[in-house]
Parts: sequence; C-alpha cells; structure tokens
Amino acid sequence: MITDSIISVPLITLVGPPNAGKTTLFNLLSGKNHKTVNYPGATVEYAISKIHAKYNLKAEILDSPGIISLIPSSPDERVAIEALFSHPEIGMPDLIVATVDSTQLSRHLLLVEQLLQAGFNVIVALTMTDMLHKRGMDISAALLEEELNCPVAKINGRTGSGSRELIALIERRLNSHQGVPAPLSFEKSMQIDMLINSYRDIERIEKKVLYELPVKPDSFNLTEANKKLVLLNQPKSSIDNLRLDRTTVQIDNILLHKVWGFLFFFLIMSLTFTSIFWFAEPLMNLVDKGFSELADFAQSFLGHNVIGDLISSGIISGTGSVMVFLPQIIILFLILGLLEDTGYLARGAMLVDRPLSKIGLNGRSFVPMLSGFACAIPAILAARTIPNKKERLLTVFIIPLMSCSARLPVYTLLIAFLILPGKLWLGGILLAAIYIFSIFSSIITASLINKLKNRIITEEDNSSFILELPSYRMPKLSIVLYNTYSSAKVYLKRAGPVILFFSLSIWFLTYFPNYNPVVESEGLSQNQIVQLQNAERLAGSYAADLGKFIQPVMTPIGMDWRVGVSLIAAFAAREVFVSSLALIFKVTSDDEKLQESILAAMRTATIEDTGKKLFTTSTIIGLIVFFVFALQCLSTIAVSRKETGGWRIPVLQLVIFTSAAYIFTFITVNGLRFLGLD
Amino acid sequence: MKKASELNFGEKGIINEIDFTHPSSRRIVEVGFTPGQEIVLINKSIFNDPLAFAVRGTLIAIRKNEAECIKVA
Repeated sequence: MITDSIISVPLITLVGPPNAGKTTLFNLLSGKNHKTVNYPGATVEYAISKIHAKYNLKAEILDSPGIISLIPSSPDERVAIEALFSHPEIGMPDLIVATVDSTQLSRHLLLVEQLLQAGFNVIVALTMTDMLHKRGMDISAALLEEELNCPVAKINGRTGSGSRELIALIERRLNSHQGVPAPLSFEKSMQIDMLINSYRDIERIEKKVLYELPVKPDSFNLTEANKKLVLLNQPKSSIDNLRLDRTTVQIDNILLHKVWGFLFFFLIMSLTFTSIFWFAEPLMNLVDKGFSELADFAQSFLGHNVIGDLISSGIISGTGSVMVFLPQIIILFLILGLLEDTGYLARGAMLVDRPLSKIGLNGRSFVPMLSGFACAIPAILAARTIPNKKERLLTVFIIPLMSCSARLPVYTLLIAFLILPGKLWLGGILLAAIYIFSIFSSIITASLINKLKNRIITEEDNSSFILELPSYRMPKLSIVLYNTYSSAKVYLKRAGPVILFFSLSIWFLTYFPNYNPVVESEGLSQNQIVQLQNAERLAGSYAADLGKFIQPVMTPIGMDWRVGVSLIAAFAAREVFVSSLALIFKVTSDDEKLQESILAAMRTATIEDTGKKLFTTSTIIGLIVFFVFALQCLSTIAVSRKETGGWRIPVLQLVIFTSAAYIFTFITVNGLRFLGLD
Repeated sequence: MKKASELNFGEKGIINEIDFTHPSSRRIVEVGFTPGQEIVLINKSIFNDPLAFAVRGTLIAIRKNEAECIKVA
C-alpha cells in the first residue's frame, strides 16, 4: 500500500529502454525498504523506495518497465506509457531520470528526446561508460547537456561512482522545473517522419559528443606494444566498424549456429528442467512434511472434533497445498532469470519464433510456455510481454496444457501403480513420455485453435517479432533474486487465496452433513477409530452424494464415483487428487508410507456394482490422459479471466480442455481394453 | 534495390528507405533502422527466419517479412 506520507515527498521515476541499466541504478540510489507498486501493463511489480539515507535527499524513487518509445505499439504499452504520465496510485513523477546506455547512445536517446518533447522534467543518466571505454571511446557529458538542454550525469553501476553527482543534479532540478507534461500526439502518418527526424538530430548529437580515446601508453612491454601497433595498423574489419561486442558475436556464432544452435537450445532447456526437479524435490518434500507435522500437532492439541479437523485438515493442509509449489516456482524463475540476464532467453525466443509462428504463436510465447511447466499462474502473467493480442490470447489459452508441478504428485502415484517395484528407471522414462506427450498435445491444440481462430480468438493484430539481442554478460544475482521474489509473491497473492478457499470448500463438502459418524469401536485402537470415522464421514458426505450423482459419467471411462469425487476435489489444486484418494479409499497408515498404502488400496479396489477391479492398466493410463488435458485448476481460470479481460476465454478453456480430457480418456480406456490390455 | 531480407550472411547494406505501409514499420524505425544507417546480417535462425542484424552498435532480431520493408543499397 502506498500511504499519503509517501506522496507528499517528490517522486522520481526511472525510465529507460530495456537493458539500459535501469534496475542497477535503482539499486544504487534506493534505500533498504522497498515497497512494490503494480505498474499497469507490466508483468512484475515495480519497486518504489525512499532515496538512500546517505544521499540526504527526501524523495521517493520508482523503477518502471522498459520502453522503447513514447508511442505505444500494443495495448499494454499504451497502459504502461499512460501510467508514466499519471500513475493510478502515485500520480505524476516530479522528475524523470532517463537511463541511457552509452554504447547504445543513438538508440537510447530517442526516448530521451520524446520525454523532453512531452515536457517532462528530465535528467539523463549515462550508464555503461566503462563498456564504452573498452571499445576505445568516451562521451562528453557537458556537450550532451548542451545539445539536449537537460542535465546529464555519468554513472558507473558497478562501482557506484557518479551517484552523488546525480543526486546533486536531482536536488537542483527538483526545485527549478515547472510545467505539466502531456502525452505526445502525432497523426499516424506523421509518426514515422517525426521518428526519422529525431534520429537525424540524434546522429548529429552523437557525432559531437562521442570521441575516440587516445591510445594510452600504459604498457612498457615492447612485445605488447608491438602487438597493439599491429592491431591498430590492421584495417578494421566490418564487425569492428559496427561497434558490436566481439565476444557476443563469437558466442552467437555457436549458440545461433544453424545446426549447433538448436542442439545447444535443447541442451540448455533439458538442463533447466532436470535441475528444477532435482533441486525442488527435497524442498517440496520438506514443505509437505512440515505442514503435515503441523497439522498433526494441531490435531493432537485440539482433539478430534469439528474445530480440530477444520484447523488441521482444512486450514493447515490447505495452506500446505499452496506452499508446496513454491520451491519449484522459485527455482524455475531463478533459472529463467539467470538465463534472461545473461542474454540467452532473447536468443531462445529468436530460435523458436519461426516454428511457433506456424501455429499462431510468437517467439515471445516461449518464456510464458516454459514457465507453465512450474505453474500456469505466473506463466499467464508472463504472456503480457507478447505485443500481439491474438498471439497473447492463444498463448494464454494453451498454457494450462503445460505439465505444471501440481500434476507431478498425481503422475508419480499413477506411474508407481503401473510399474513393478525394482524397475524405477522405467518410471523416469514414463514421466518424460508424459511431458513430451503434453508438449505435443499443446502444439496440436494451438494449431487447431489457430485454424479456428476466428471462432475462438476473435482479435486480429499485426504479428511481429522485433527483439534486441543484448550483449552476453554475467547475470546480476541481486536483480534476478528480486524478480524471483516478485514472481513468487504474485503466485502467493493470486493463487493462494483461491486454492485455500477451494480447499476449505472441499473440506466442507467432504466433512458435512454426517460430521459425527458412529462407528463400531470394539477392539480398535484410538487411531483406527478416528480413521474409520473419517472414512464413514466421507461416505455420507455431500461430496459422496455429488460423486454418486456423477457416477453415470464415470462408468463409460471405467471408473466409479470415488474417482469422480477425487477428480472434483482436484479442482482446488491437482495434487489434492492424491490425498482425496487416500481419504476415500479409507487408507489407514502413517504419512511415511502413504503412497504404498494408497497403492495397496487401489490394487484391491473393485467397482461396487460389478465387482470388477477399479484400477487396471487401462484406467490408470486413462487417468494420466485425463490429467494431461483437464483444466482442473480454479486459480488458473481466475487469472485467465483477469488477463484476457472476460469470461469468454477461461470458459472456453474449461469446456474444451475438460471435455477433451473426458473424450480422450474414454478413447484410451476403451481402446486399450479393445486391444486386450485391461 | 535490395531488401534487407535478401542480404547474405555477413553482407553489409546501407538503408535507403523504409516501406511505411508495413504495419511493423514504425517499431522498426524506433529500434534504429533509419535511412542512411549501415546494417549487416549477422545471424539467421533455423529456417532462415528471424534474421539478426547489426544496427547502431547492437543486434536486433526481426522476422524475414519485416526485414522485407527495409530497402538497402
């Protein structure tokens, strides 16, 4: 929350193109206590903070999303740019510090010119001057100041030098400037002429302010000096003339190579996924164990009554089912953040743009789709970076098909049923097969929907892929960590309440009306009585009524009402399917051996009417197919509604994916039975 | 006149004009492709699309059909 006391001090907004060192500068100037502000049109929340106490300046500084120009190209850019003029929560900035990468001077000055034209109070912060020096160049801040008619400061983000000078400029400028900025308004036909004129002017300025550094006689080593002399006398290759980063070009020759490029791409992606599961699994187990112990503790403290059950099975277990995904989400965003900060993700998007554009998506769909493997909620939010609305909606549409981490416990259980003990390696292969199957089914779905695009996604928009490939560099851990924290918070804020609410509702449905069942307690231990009571309570619950009601739907796919109830319970979060099965099959065991006990119960379970085995190879494979397609996640539906701006897309997703799941399960189960595999 | 999409690997071209009728033309100008600028085709993705050009000291990837609106000499 932004309080009134913050608004009363001047607001400084950092503005700049992507990769211009904006966030580094923010970290340099800001104090310890960051708050976050939802920046309209941007995926992540942006930080706002008081200026660091050591600078002795009372002002707030706000980071903002990277923009290329003040003329928007997409609805989200429009919202982000409008928020720059007047942010819905914190109003108009008193001052803008525009970051300009000095190695990208001409491109980044375009935005500065537009900010000045719009009447903003602007200070230019020149970043990455050390990189410019490396290329044998320097820039005159004084001349640039004269040309732009606005203050200019050089900043070194690594060492922090120049920040005091910048603060002094800010202080002076805050007291002097007046006037209210207004959005740029140009006729569409005028825009390009205006841009070309701006660039002409910028090129003139660039020639004036950039100069070559004299070669320093810093080396007394004769051979070194000779080498340099040789290098200097060589005719400059065309690459040198282009002022590109040499190392970047060399790395790209491998990573964007026609053959090796794709090989490396698959290698990097496989490594990413393996490490997510490898790192996350022990943490997820830890979270799971912690919450089940907490629930046990609460239960033993409060006793086996309605309140005790509500708190332990309802609230604590519900919170646990939210928190258990946090490790995977954090690790995925950590790795994605590192890949992004090195500059590789932009290359990845370039590599897959062509194949994805064939099915109506975009190279920029790649990161959201990848995130979908952890959790659909942050993934759908990440789709905001796709400028084309049609492609963005299609990306959002297929994200629920990505095999998210909530499906993992379900697949683990079902795979364990299929394979014989001692053949664990087979489980890994089966799991990989499920992932590949889910990728293929999302590709097929996307292309089918793309074919029907005018019926399902009605928006038309210019499809475009224009992306800067930034120079490779070492990732900045602080920035990556901050963005990871921000994504995790978004997940907890958006998905948390929904999952918790539905966990509680489902607890209610499985607990009432028969909340205090009478059981035959003779010769049974206290523990066994409780478990028997739980099972009896469930058998007489609303959920069981509901399950029996949907029995006719479950019979064609070879299942009964008990699986039906578990499938309904899985709408809170998919992994609830496992605990619900345990409850419904009256599994009585310690948590340690829960899986084996559920498996044992599953192996003996029969369909009540026919006496036939309920879980067979065919029905288990059928269930896996069901989980691949079904949109069993109410939080996803809620976020999809918010991000697509209506109920149309989420309802279509729910109907199409869940009915596809049913139909494919029907085909799978009966097809396998027809082939003689029961 | 050649289109930027017709450049070969490592080939240089000076932008002569931008086809303003292309819906992406404004963004293309905004990222730095303006008449008079020297561009070089540095990389091609698989299937030769998108293309990465060196322009104004950086690399920018654009789709082949978008590179078609950049006329070079």
